[in-house]
This record gives sequence, structure tokens and C-alpha cells, in this order.
Amino acid sequence: MSEMWINMGPQHPMTHGLWNLRVKIDGEMILDVDPEMGYLHRGIEKISEDRHYNEVITLMDRCCYVAGFSWEHLYILGAEEALHVEPPERAEYLRVLCDEFQRIGSHLMWYAAFVQDIGLMSPFLYGMRDRDLVLDLFQSYTGARMTYEYMRVGGVRNDVPPGFTDSARKVLDWLTARFPEYDQLCLGSTIFRERCDELGILKAADCVKHGVTGPMLRSAGVKRDLRKDRPYSAYDRLEFDVAVADAADVTARYLVRMEEMRQSVRILRQVLDWLDRHPGPVLADHLPRWLGAPYAPIGNEGYLLKRNYPKGVGFSAIEEPHGEALAYVVNDGGEHPYRVKFRSPVFANISAARQYLVGYHVADIPPIMGSVDVCVGEVDR
Amino acid sequence: MASQTLYSVSNDLATVLLNGLGSILPGPVRAVVTNPDVIVGLSVLIFAAVLLAASMINTIVLIWWERKLLGRFMDRRGAMHVGYAGLLQNFADGLKLFRKNTFQPREADALGFYSGPLAYMVTSLIIFGILPISSGWNSGALPLTLLLALAIFSFAPLFIFVSAWSSNNKYSLMGGMRSAAQMIAYEVPILLAVVAVVIVSGSFDLSTIVYEQQNYWFWGPLVVALIVFVAGMLAEMERIPFDLPEAEAELVEGWNTEYGGMLFAFFMLADYLRALVGSILVVLLFLGGWTLPSWVPSAATSFPLAGIFWFMVKTYAVFGLFVWVRASLPRVRTDQLLRVGWNRMIPLSLLSIFLAAVLVTVKCLPVFGCVPSMGV
Repeated sequence: MSEMWINMGPQHPMTHGLWNLRVKIDGEMILDVDPEMGYLHRGIEKISEDRHYNEVITLMDRCCYVAGFSWEHLYILGAEEALHVEPPERAEYLRVLCDEFQRIGSHLMWYAAFVQDIGLMSPFLYGMRDRDLVLDLFQSYTGARMTYEYMRVGGVRNDVPPGFTDSARKVLDWLTARFPEYDQLCLGSTIFRERCDELGILKAADCVKHGVTGPMLRSAGVKRDLRKDRPYSAYDRLEFDVAVADAADVTARYLVRMEEMRQSVRILRQVLDWLDRHPGPVLADHLPRWLGAPYAPIGNEGYLLKRNYPKGVGFSAIEEPHGEALAYVVNDGGEHPYRVKFRSPVFANISAARQYLVGYHVADIPPIMGSVDVCVGEVDR
Repeated sequence: MASQTLYSVSNDLATVLLNGLGSILPGPVRAVVTNPDVIVGLSVLIFAAVLLAASMINTIVLIWWERKLLGRFMDRRGAMHVGYAGLLQNFADGLKLFRKNTFQPREADALGFYSGPLAYMVTSLIIFGILPISSGWNSGALPLTLLLALAIFSFAPLFIFVSAWSSNNKYSLMGGMRSAAQMIAYEVPILLAVVAVVIVSGSFDLSTIVYEQQNYWFWGPLVVALIVFVAGMLAEMERIPFDLPEAEAELVEGWNTEYGGMLFAFFMLADYLRALVGSILVVLLFLGGWTLPSWVPSAATSFPLAGIFWFMVKTYAVFGLFVWVRASLPRVRTDQLLRVGWNRMIPLSLLSIFLAAVLVTVKCLPVFGCVPSMGV
């Protein structure tokens, strides 16, 4: 058979979202790939310029549909720096709680999609089942399962309900007991190792060259985690290890993500203990009215207050489940952000597709792209 | 007992029916109706209709069985709503597919596109015409049923490739080529594993093979052949871990990507027909068919249709094993599949032939006993 291009996407089971991977194949071998993004572009950055600071949070939830909290957190950190607002300490811990549960939820979603890609049927549902427990927790204190609108400039919307920490601990116990089962189904299977070992290798130097971050970078042996290297919120007060693997292949990425979930459980236990011991406010006092309430009428006294509000620029960087997400928020004194710019880790990760796909088989595309953990919402924004 | 076949029963039925009909009809018409050729024709029709109904109902129940088992493996309940415990769910699904429009891609080759699924379905059905179900219910008395069944079984890659190629779709074509390569590679070990059974039982007739297992079932002494046969059958059925011709992660639906509605239902049904045939062959060749070991109390085997009952129990249990494998293993890659096929399965099947030859030489085993045809 001669060479031909096939389109894997935008409607294709491999893509997990709207994007297109054009693949040039010769028989079963991959000669070239060409990722095409942009099918899900909603102009979130531009829409943000026309919204109040707290209204942008709604868009952040839609930025990545499996890691809404992480993107809320990212934006909030940037906006708070731009607006010179300090959140209370309990809010910082609550944000870490959200982030880490979101990391577990996102990684479970990744696990489910990834094992489905290599043909493992049951663990797909195990991953979804356990992610549901995390979503139930989110629902108990935000009222929503995926689009939370929970964080606010200057804190979070509300505190967790009474008894939350106990139910959260139960979920953590359940998850801790499930992790060995996950490993058994994947690492314990000879076929899995045959499929995933030495597959989709992306060495550390190539990662750096292409801006690849997150579990992919750490699986190449680079010990870089923004939670450690550039601590934000309460991470400098929490104990955890950075998950690292050396092989830079699909199995290594699997190992890194599994270890990250275990570390998240470790972080969460500390956070829950802290929350039990330190009650307090979750939203900063003396916030300007014009950013306090979404959909507040424009032109009341809040408008007057805003005039004298100092300008500012905010930059934030967080370790999102998929990698390093950066945000840049410009406050020019207006009631809307002047400019919001995000850096999506997945965009860089799948832009490097040619580096880690060419030379393998067509059948290797799903496991490799699955190990990248694509979330198209944040790629296109 | 063994002389009574499904065909002879339908022949009796046709004779009674047509003679009865002839007795109330005027002379010239009666002569036509009671003509022996017409009776033969009607009995063939009855035979085919019974087989079709039985195999179709079994296939659909098999799909239900798979869905329920998979559900349990996945911590859910499977189909629950249509009928008791979802028993009628697949009939509803089939009806839905039947009502759907059948379409054809613009550039597709109509002849291959439409005849492929039909031929695939028909060849899968033919096998049921020759499989013995119970001592009184083997459908036809043919001496080489095993060989014929495997021969028809191996038609499939041709029709899959024809329909894949004529769909004019790149995914279909890749899936079709994978399918052809895979099925041809796994034909060889399957046939070699069957040769081991044939050596021990001394017959190509499935009924005789079952009869020869009255002292011990072949799965014990011929466990290597059983492993090769089951693994090969998994590949022939294109089930996980060998479902890469329709690997939905990379090839959408593989060779049946372009098929919808009833044509898709044909492929689906034929796939499960083949799965049923595979399970039945495992039961017939290695698990003693419709017989039970002699230590089982006779009450378990003396009720009416006990043979068919135990045969179905075994068949569904074997299929349950396939479902278990599907629920817990990932998919292998094409080159790995072919490497396993040629480098591991064929040596293993040759080993099984060697073991069968040893078995024939020693005639009787200390624990198991003797094979009747070799017996003292």
C-alpha cells in the first residue's frame, strides 16, 4: 500500500474532543503527523475583556471541562495580583482542596480514557465510578459537578458544609484502596506492558524544546512542579513529593500520574486536618463592590469607587493536572480586565506530537495520545 | 438414538404435513404435493427455518449474556429495562436497526458492499447446519463435520476484506487488511490444535469426538491444544484482546465503519454467531459436548432434553470465559499479534500434536482412563 494521509478527527474516537490529528501512514507505520487545533475556539480571552472580574470565573470553568477548579484558581491568582487583593488563609486552603481533588478527578478521567484507548474496558468504568465520588464532593459544597463558579477574587464563595471533611476522608480512603487495583489491571498485564513500554518517547531535551510540561516532563526525569518550584496558595505549607519517572514513555507517564494521585491524597489529608482546626472567613473584607457581585448594575456607587482603584498587572502560574498553566491579567483601572492571556499546557503538549508519534504504528496513536491527556477545551479556549 | 437427526425429524414432519394436505386436495394437485421431491424440499425448508430461529435466538441471548456479564465485571448492571432483566433489550435493538435506513457511500462498490455482509452472515449460519447439539439432535449425519465447520469458518476473512475494500474508506481498508492478516495467521494454529484432538479421537466427526470423551474430557490431557484453540478462537472472533481489526480507538469501527442499519446488524449478528460457533467447538472438542462425567448423579442427566441443556450451559460458560477475557485485557498491536501467532502459537500447537501422539501411544492414562476407540 502506498502512503496516504488519514484524518483522525475532528470526529474520531481517538481524539477525546474536537481536534484533528492528520496522520501520514505507510501501511501501519506513521511517517508524519500534523495536529490541527481550533475546532473548539470560543474566544474566552476576548470575552473576558467584556466581563466583570468575577464573571470571568464562569468562563474558566468552561476552559477545561475536567479541571474547572484549576483554571478558576489560575485566573483568580492572576486577578488578585492585578487587583491587589489578599485572600484569607482558609480560602487558600480551600483552593488547594479544590485543586487537589480536581487533580484526582482529572487524572481519573485520564485513566478512564487512556485504558479505553488501549482496549481495557472495565477499568474505564472503574475510573469513571471513582471520579463520580469526587464530583459528589464538589457538588456538596459548590452545587455543581463540573462548572463550579466557586472561587472569587479575594477568596471563595462559601465554606464547605459541616461534615464535609469526614465524607472527604471517606472518599480518600476508598480511592487509596482502589489505586492498587488500577495498577494491577494495567501494570500487572503483560499486554499492557508490551503496548506501552518504550512507546511515545519524548526525552527531557525535547520536552524543554517544545515547552512540554506537567506529567510528560516529569516522566522524562525532570523534577519540575510549580507547586514546589513556585509555590502558590498554601502549597509551601504542605508536605508532598514530586512524582518523577525516567523512561519518558507511556508507562512512565502512567506511573507519574498514578503517583501524583497518591500525593494528592497525601496533600488532601493535611488540608482536611487544617480545615478542621482553623475555622475562619473565606472571603476577604473590604472588597470593592464592583467586583463583589456578578451581574451587578453598572453605574452605581461601585462605579465611582472604581475610578480611584490602583492599576496593576497580575501573573500567575499553577501546576494544572495537564501541566503548567500561566495567566496574565491586566487591570487598567476599568471594571473589566483590560487583557487576559492564558498559556495552555496541553496546547504545547500536543503541538509536539510529531516528536513522539513519528516512527511508531498506527495502533500506537491512541495509547500515546491518551498518555498526553488531551483536554481540548483549554487548547482552543 | 444417534440415528435421529434434526433433518430426519423435519423430514417426518414434512411427510405428515404434505400427506395430510394431499388427502384433502383433488387428485392432480395431490400428486404434486405428495411428490417425494416436494417433501424433501419442504423438509429442507423446515430444517433451515428451525436452525435459523434457534441460532438467531441463541445469538441474541448470547449478546444479552455478554452485556450482563460485562456489566457485572464493570460494576454496573447491564441492560435492565426491556423485558425481565433486559432479556428483550437486544430484540429491541435489532428492531431499531431493522427500521433504520441502509445507505451506501457514494464511491462504494455496490456489489461488494452489499454482498459482503450477506455472505459473512450466511457462511456463519451454514456452520450451524452441521454442528451436533445433542446425541439425538445432530442436524445432519456427515462424516467430516469438524473439517467442514472449520473450512466454512475460515471463509470469513475473504468476505470481510471484500466488504472493507468496497466501502471505499481508509479505516475500513486498514481494518480489512488487519482482519485478513490476523485470521489467516490464526487459522494455522487452530487447525494444528484440532489435529491433536483428531489424533486422540481418531475421527473428524464431531459426534464421534464427543462419544470418545465418555471416559475423560480432552481438556485435561490436551490442555496445550485447548489453550491454543481458545486463543486462536479469540483471534478468529476478533474479540479483545485480538479485536484490532475493529479497534475503535484508532480505526473508528474498522472494517464495518461504513455500515449502518441492517447491514451493520448482519455483521454484528454474524460476529456473535461465530462467537457461538467458537464456544460450541470448544465444548465439543474439549469439554465433552452434551455429556457429563459418570460421577454426576443420574438425575442430572435423565430429564427430557438434558443433553441440550448441559450443552447450552457449557457453551454459555465458555462464552462467559471469553467475556471475562474481554473485560480484563487490553488490545494487542498488529505486529505483536502476528508475532504471537507465528512464533508462539504454532510451536505450541505442534507441541500439542506431540502430546496427542504420546497419548495415543500410551493408550490409557493412570487418572483419566482410556479413549474408547483406543481402549483395551
